[in-house]
Formats: sequence, C-alpha cells, structure tokens
Amino acid sequence: MTIDNRVELGAGQPAGSRPAGLRVTALRRLRRDPASVFAACLLLLLVLAALIGAPLAAKLTGHSPTEQVPNALYPDGQPIGVMSRTLNAAGTAEDPHGSLFILGADQLGRDQFVRVLYGARISLLVATSATALALVIGVSLGLLAGWRGGWVDAVVSRMTETAMAFPNVLLGVGLAVVIGPGLLNVVIIIALFTWYYPARIVRSATVSTTKMTFVAAARALGARPRRLLTVHLLPQVWGPLLVYATSIIAANILFEAGLSYLGVGVPPPTPSWGGMLSDAVTSGMYQTDIALALVPGLALVFTMLAFNLLGDGIRDALDPRRGR
Amino acid sequence: MTRLAGTRVLGALVQILVVTLLAFLLFYVIARFTGASPAQRIAGKTATPEQIALVAKNLGLDQPYWKQYLIFLGNLLHGNLGFSYVQQRPVSQIVWPAMRATASLVLGAALIWLAIAIPVGAYGGLRPRSFGDVAGRTLAILGMSIPVFWLAPVIAYLLGYQPTQGKLFGLPILPVGTKLFPIGGYVDFGTDPVQWAYHLILPCITLAIGFAAVYIRFIRTLTAEQLGEDYTRTAKAKGASTQRVLVRHVGRNVTPSVTVLLGADIATALTGVFFVETVFAIPGIGYTGLSAIENLDYPVITAVIIVAAVIAVVANTVVDIAHMGLDPRIRHVPDA
Repeated sequence: MTIDNRVELGAGQPAGSRPAGLRVTALRRLRRDPASVFAACLLLLLVLAALIGAPLAAKLTGHSPTEQVPNALYPDGQPIGVMSRTLNAAGTAEDPHGSLFILGADQLGRDQFVRVLYGARISLLVATSATALALVIGVSLGLLAGWRGGWVDAVVSRMTETAMAFPNVLLGVGLAVVIGPGLLNVVIIIALFTWYYPARIVRSATVSTTKMTFVAAARALGARPRRLLTVHLLPQVWGPLLVYATSIIAANILFEAGLSYLGVGVPPPTPSWGGMLSDAVTSGMYQTDIALALVPGLALVFTMLAFNLLGDGIRDALDPRRGR
Repeated sequence: MTRLAGTRVLGALVQILVVTLLAFLLFYVIARFTGASPAQRIAGKTATPEQIALVAKNLGLDQPYWKQYLIFLGNLLHGNLGFSYVQQRPVSQIVWPAMRATASLVLGAALIWLAIAIPVGAYGGLRPRSFGDVAGRTLAILGMSIPVFWLAPVIAYLLGYQPTQGKLFGLPILPVGTKLFPIGGYVDFGTDPVQWAYHLILPCITLAIGFAAVYIRFIRTLTAEQLGEDYTRTAKAKGASTQRVLVRHVGRNVTPSVTVLLGADIATALTGVFFVETVFAIPGIGYTGLSAIENLDYPVITAVIIVAAVIAVVANTVVDIAHMGLDPRIRHVPDA
C-alpha cells in the first residue's frame, strides 16, 4: 500500500527487452556520456590512489599513515599547514631540510596526505565488501521470495518493509555501540542495514519475469529450477542491480564515514575519512585550520560524486525506452 | 478508507513492537555476548558490584529473556525510559526536552528543502534540458554527494566563524567581530522566537541541502512524467495556462508521492541531526545521543534509538494515511 518511488530503477519492467543488444548499446551510450566518462576516470584514479598511491606516498614522504611526527606541531599544538616542512629544533619555523607535508599535518602530527590516501583504501574496502555482502543476502532472499511465492514471499516482503521503515543508520550506530568498533563489524553492520533494497528489486523482477512466456517455455523444455534461476532469471535483474550497486556503494562509503565520524566505525589509528573529519571537527581545530576538514571532506565529496554520476549514467544507458 | 487506515495503524503498532524487540535484543541479549554485561553497561563505568547487582535486580536481568522483555516493554509503555547513572537523572528528563530542539530542526529543514526543491524540480520537469534544468540537476547531484557531517562544519566555518574574523568566504570585506549567524547554540521557542529562528537558520539549511537535492530530482522526474500524460495535454488544449496545469493538474498528482517520500525522510533526517546538532551545539536528541555514545551512557543510547525509530514509524504511518486522503486511487482499491 505504500508506494515508494524512490528507487527509480524500472524494476517492474525487465531491463532486457532487447537482450541481444542492450549490453553493447549501454556500453556505447556510456562511452558517449561525458559525465560518465569523467566519473569512471575519477574512480579509476581513486582506485589507483588507494592501491599504488598510498604506499608510494608513504615511501616518498617517509611518513607512515599512523606515524606521529612531533616536529609537525607548533609548540602551541597547532599542526603545520599545507605544503609545509617539519619545524626546526626550536619549533618556531620550518626547517628547509625537514620532510614535506603536502597536505599538512593533523592534530597529532600525522601526515594528512598519506592518511587521506590510506583512508581511500578503507572507504573502498568497506563499501565494496559491504555492498557485495548486501547483494548476496538481498539477491538470494529476493530470488527466493519471487520464485517460491506464498509464505516465503510474505515473510521476506514483511521483513523488507519493516527494515525500510527504520532509520537504518541510527540502528546501525546502536549495533556498532554494542558489538564494538572494528573493520569486519562495520562491514557486517552496513550489509545488515542495506540488503533489503536489492531484495526488493530482485523480488519484483523475479515475479514479473517468472510470468513471461520464455520462462514457461524453458520450463516446458525441462529446465531445472537452478538453470531457470541462473540462466533465465538472473540476467533479467543484472541491469537494475548494477545501477543499485553503484549508488549503494556511494551510500555505503557515506555510511562507513558516518560510523567512523561517530566513533563507532573503523577504530583509530587506522586512517578513515570519517575519522579524520571527526578528529578535525570534534577538536574544534578545523576553525583555525580549515584544511583539516577540507582534505577528507573533499575526498568524500569527489568519491560520492563519481559514484552518483556513474550510477545516473548507467541508469540512463540501460533505459530500454531510450533510442539508440 | 477507515478500514485501510485501521490496518495501517495496526501495522505500525506491529512495527513499533518489532523496534522494541530489536532494541531489546541489541542492548540486552547481544550485549551479553560482547564484553560487559547489560547491568554493568547500564550502571556505568564507575559502578560498584553492589550497584550493578541492584540494577540487574530492578530491571529483572536475572529473569528469563521473555520476562526481561515484558518488563522492558512495560517500562516503555509507562513512559519510563530508564535511569541514566552517568547523568544521575531519569532518561525521560533528558530525552523529551531534547526532542523539542530536534523537532524544530527537522521541521524547519523540511520546509527549506521543499521550498527549494518544488520550484527547481517543477521547472526542470517543465523545461527539460533548459539552462535552469541543467543547473538544477548539476546542483542536485553535487548536493547529493556532499555528506552532511562535512557540510555542517564547512557552513559553520564560512558563515559562522569566519565573519567574526572579518572575512566572508575568505575575503576580508567585513568588520572584525561581525556576527552574521551564531556559530552554535539553541534558544527555546518559548524563550525568544526570534532568537530561536536565528539560531536555527544555519543548522536547518545544512540539514536541508542533501534532501533538497534528492527532492529536486524526484519532483523533476514526476513532473516530466505527468506532463507527458494525456490529461495534461487535454488541459492545455482546453486553454489552461501553464501555471494552472502545473498547480491544479500536475501538482495534484505529484503531491501524494512527495508526501510519502517526506514521511520516509523525516526518519532519515533523524540520522542527519546526529551530525548537524553536534557541530552547531543544538541540545537535541542527536547531540544527546552522541554524547551518550562517548560516555557509554547505555540507557540514553537505548532511549534515543527507540524514540527515533518510533518517531520514524509514526511519521511513515501518518504520511501513508495522509496519502490515502490525497490519492483517491488508493482509497478505492480494496487491498493494494
């Protein structure tokens, strides 16, 4: 009875109305869309920065992401700014031979540049693994509900409805408080509070596809349930799921950053963007050195922007109503 | 209609039961297996063994789980949210005053995001690919990508803190000590309505921006969809002005969907207040909840989460019933 139009994924109409050409067409459309190309480049850059850039930066600057450099703080506790070098022995001025802090230091004298790069690893790792876990749970439950129908469907549908009615980040925070911070805990919490979107999408796509003649034909030809599910049903839902996965990775990056910001996510001293922001804001130090808030914040904004743009691009590219 | 509404309210009651059950499982059952016992957590870090035993006895924590849950539920039904041993006062005395500030913040933000999104979204739907539409959509995708816990300190810095240093957006054009907006704090409406509004402007805008972005896209899609329908063409053919078509015809069809979305987002906004309230020092449930997390004040954490979840369920229910009133198509379907 609740009409939720938020997920504009066209889950009701299977994406593969032209199964032969859609994948190729979609890729071609994506390549022609400047916003999507920009987003893809940004994401590629982010992955490279996380995988190669982080250890490289640590090696070149000589600072590990958790190393606290006393000379990167003025005697009054104020960290050195962007593009500054460590201070001389008296702590009054930059030492021309000191090591360079490209994006400055944080309130503990740690290199912000190295930390933000290592933070990308945490963000991507947590968001992709949580999304994968949520997809596994959601797709299994959705297929089961749409395929079996009856009481299985009723149970899964009520579960998704109930889960959607709650402020999920808030309950996630509650769970995090109880089970404690930690990388694996964060992944599990995020997955637990995001599985129901894919479950809904897959369920409705399964229900509508099961009624189609090609499924009936396959069944008449003697296809077993497993073959029907994997060969005939799953390909019908990959489009909406792909759009979903891109936008949910963005949401999950935000979820992780939010948990870490609240101090119940990835525990310090592991660098995470949410934790870096929280350090800058809760200490109040961002007011005298806005770079402390800008560095992790802009990293988050650009990452979210890339995923959101790509999600939009993929959705438009997969739209079967659009001309070639 | 009445029967449908009745079913919906019944469903909401079940959801509230589920919320309390989840909270109970979380804070009393799962908590038992991860570190300190619930009694220890509730009594606080400094409690003596005798105090812990007393807490366990009062809350029936030595009883079987189903009895514990009934005691927990009974306390909630009586409006008894527990006792904060960290703050040495009943939790209800902490949570209810905080709700006033949070309600002001969330409702103010909702007004702002609707005021931004309705005109921008409707214009985009009316004139797709026009300059205004492209600008609106660009701002929307940007707004969607800015996390509220980053926006809050940046806005506080640019419009609250920097003007006191004589700068506006980094340009030294203001006299030092200018106070454009308060950096933080909250004045109750009953004390001084003007100061109340003045202190809420920045936090409300901060909370509203992300939602405004989502609503611009949503309203744009809905408007464009409705404008493609035959009935709008008929209305136009009969000589109705664009304004009349938009307000009387399209608006009438878009409103129910936006209302439903609004119900869901009141719940989402309750998460946002955690970040906004702490930056702007507004003593609402987000601020209370976060300091409770820092102090491991379990009774307050439990209460904040239950109260927020219950508000979310109530908001969704109210909106769904309003939806039935607004959308005759739903009213007349026996079981949608």
